[in-house]
Amino acid sequence: MSKLGARSIIAVPYLWLLLFFLVPFIIVLKISFAEMQYAIPPYTDLVAWVDEGLTINLNLGNYAYLINDDLYARAYLSSVRIAFLATVCALLVGYPIAYAIARADSATRNALLMLVMLPSWTSFLIRIYAWVGILKNNGLINNSLMSVGIIDQPIAMLNTEFAVYLGIVYAYLPFMVLPIYTNLVKLDNSLLEASADLGCPPWKTFLTITLPLSKAGIIAGSMLVFIPSVGEFVIPEMLGGAETLMIGKVLWQEFFNNRDWPVASAVAIVMLLLLLVPITFFHRYQSRELEA
Amino acid sequence: MQTGKLSTWSKTFLSVGFFFLYAPILILVIFSFNKSELVTVWAGFSFKWYGELFRDPQMLGAAWISLKIALLAASTSVVLGTMASIVMVRMGTFKGKTAFSSMITAPLVMPEVITGLSLLLLFVAMGQSLGWPGERGILTIWIAHVTFCTAFVAVVVSSRLQELDESIEEAAQDLGAPPWKVFFLVTLPIIAPALMSGWLLAFTLSLDDLVIASFVSGPGSTTLPMQVFSSVRMGISPQINALATLVILAATIAVFIAWWIAQRSLKQTTHISK
Amino acid sequence: MSDAASSPMLEIRHVTKRFGELSAVKDVNLTINKGEIFALLGGSGCGKTTLLRMMSGFETPTEGAVLIDGEDVSNVPPYKRQVNMMFQSYALFPHMTVEQNVAFGLKQDKLSKAEINSQVQAMLALVHMTDYAKRKPQQLSGGQRQRVALARSLAKKPKVLLLDEPMAALDKKLRSQMQLELVDIVESVGVTCVMVTHDQEEAMSMANRVSIMHEGQIMQIGSPSEIYEFPNSRHTAEFIGSVNMFDASVKHVGTEASLMSCTDLDSVMAVEGGVNALEGARVGVAIRPEKVIMSRSQPQQTQNWAKGSVEDIAYLGGHSVYHVRLASGKIVMATTTNVDRHEQRLTWHDEVYLHWSASSSVVLYQ
Repeated sequence: MSKLGARSIIAVPYLWLLLFFLVPFIIVLKISFAEMQYAIPPYTDLVAWVDEGLTINLNLGNYAYLINDDLYARAYLSSVRIAFLATVCALLVGYPIAYAIARADSATRNALLMLVMLPSWTSFLIRIYAWVGILKNNGLINNSLMSVGIIDQPIAMLNTEFAVYLGIVYAYLPFMVLPIYTNLVKLDNSLLEASADLGCPPWKTFLTITLPLSKAGIIAGSMLVFIPSVGEFVIPEMLGGAETLMIGKVLWQEFFNNRDWPVASAVAIVMLLLLLVPITFFHRYQSRELEA
Repeated sequence: MQTGKLSTWSKTFLSVGFFFLYAPILILVIFSFNKSELVTVWAGFSFKWYGELFRDPQMLGAAWISLKIALLAASTSVVLGTMASIVMVRMGTFKGKTAFSSMITAPLVMPEVITGLSLLLLFVAMGQSLGWPGERGILTIWIAHVTFCTAFVAVVVSSRLQELDESIEEAAQDLGAPPWKVFFLVTLPIIAPALMSGWLLAFTLSLDDLVIASFVSGPGSTTLPMQVFSSVRMGISPQINALATLVILAATIAVFIAWWIAQRSLKQTTHISK
Repeated sequence: MSDAASSPMLEIRHVTKRFGELSAVKDVNLTINKGEIFALLGGSGCGKTTLLRMMSGFETPTEGAVLIDGEDVSNVPPYKRQVNMMFQSYALFPHMTVEQNVAFGLKQDKLSKAEINSQVQAMLALVHMTDYAKRKPQQLSGGQRQRVALARSLAKKPKVLLLDEPMAALDKKLRSQMQLELVDIVESVGVTCVMVTHDQEEAMSMANRVSIMHEGQIMQIGSPSEIYEFPNSRHTAEFIGSVNMFDASVKHVGTEASLMSCTDLDSVMAVEGGVNALEGARVGVAIRPEKVIMSRSQPQQTQNWAKGSVEDIAYLGGHSVYHVRLASGKIVMATTTNVDRHEQRLTWHDEVYLHWSASSSVVLYQ
């Protein structure tokens, strides 16, 4: 390929991503060190000409604020906890599904896979909204349980942490199933036969052969669920109610309700630092998939 | 893996899984035909919420804006995403490739609030220092959507490109076609189905996005998810059920078409790539 | 081939190719003549494919030059070279019919429709694929795909035809038939042809000249029989066919015959002609198994014999290979043709004498 052609093919997506993906983070970092002001834009400049001299105002106040108010620490912790537990649940639900699909014959396999993916092609918001009608106090579950007479008081399900778990597992399940399936379907059946031939019972074959060999899929799936869940806004907002504290919601409120851009930026930076390790983990897996 | 009849265990897992995935959607669809205002009590069959939906100018306006953005964003990100996957799969190593591949994969998992906030701050900073973009609206949403959709398209197209035997492209060069011609005469027709599914994926992702659009939109550019979100915040409304049903219907049809195309091309090319 | 033999079509001059630290091809020189079928033979990683890719233009030499018909094409991209390649996987375009595949190269030359059409028909007739013109590649068998690939790479009347492992994608039975047919087609067109293969039988049966490559270098070039009968190195001798290799030291250098001592034998070792080494030098002596004769009684000759016992027999139908263990512990292979169905054959643990003539062995210095 000619040098010029090759360079321009690299340059176009490269520059786009540089400008609209990387540079924004630098700006967020910059503004997280600024002070809020009632103006347009609502933050101070870091670099200013004061008394004919260049001064840099690095304001660590936003970060100090995040440390002093324990709301933020609690929000980060509970986000990570909720995301982690929801990821474990999604793995427990998703793995058997992926396994079952991988074991079907190839025609059925594609149809089943499409059925798993289909819901994620319909609106995320609408799927979460569907659970509101099911879980609320006069919703489908409570109404039917009461009309049958099993309970006489509605069980509070909406606006609980339970509903958030349910929402995350429901919305992100396909993202767990897909990478695990891709991994399992490549597994050479003769390995399982060899294991059986050498006297290993099926459950032990699963634990010693299948599970370790699908590790990459499990990691990828878990990262695809865990990382976005930590910063999830829609699910805690619609299903979690006031009690569920998640950092995505806090950021949203800081930005839209308090209009404090510098604090919102600081919240984002800390979240990003928190997610750096899992994102790197995911990137390593994904770039192997992309290039291999 | 072993291919064969599904075991009872597998069948149980699949049935429970699919029940979990589809029951809420089904309930949503059923109650969209409910006469009553109460979303959980069946009061008879009616199309009245569909009528109301189509008389709601705000909903229709938002839907139109969303469609425009999704069409533009999907088409742009297919071009960028295809270029990106060629860079990833076929270009070998070059300076800055690690940075490039990180920027391709990170948007796949980046929490939307972070992406939304950072893009907004970029647009504000650019508006201040460059005077562009003057105000936020369809243009800024388009840029934001292209940025994260490109990553998804790149994943879909890359996996197809990897399966494509590189010697097919070399053969075309060997027979006298320069690289750009090889791409349009040979590579593109073979990976076209992947481009199609990449486009559809980008289209639905764009159509579906609430969080990022909320950050980077401006006055007069309320998208459909934003409109839906503000109306469900007020409480449950059967009109939303009607909308949901239409979205699900459209998505199902689109996915089936895409699946059918993919199956057909799979049958055509499996022999060759193996 | 006779009158054109003197004029070179493809020249490789001091070509070296490095990938980072690794040298895939090291200072290779080759001259391939017009109308010749030339084979590059070697194991995987010997650099033969890299050399082929430099001929086709997919790689550029780090040092040296590639000349086609006297013209330096080292830096000419593949789409501007009058060289066409038949790929190992055949690389047929899956979205085009057989006809369109064959026409692809001609279309790049902007020929008229009529010209393209007649050339495509001629090519399809040449490879007997006229009836399949409208089929897609995935509707063809392996052998048919190879024919289409061949037609496609011949359609542009290239100066040099390159074949990359031409038989690798076919099953064993089809191979020997296609080998002959491919040679017939290539010879009828008269194109100069370079093939790369790891299969010695394929190289020997198809090519006029074979070159043995090893670790990026050319070890030997010659006709198939030269290479088999007169290998110039241990590597070539062991790579082509099977061979018995003896370590010996030179005892006497003569003009008619030379003598050496070998501890494995029960007699002195004699080779025809002189030896290019001083007395006392260590050399290798190679003897092909089919040149080793077995007998139950001690041979008449005083040279080139040893006594042993049959350790193993590989019955291969037409012939059998005997593995005989000598007193020194060395295993020597000997081939016998199974002429008579009921003869009393040697069997396991039989005592046996091995002998061969002085003209059968080859002295190797490296």
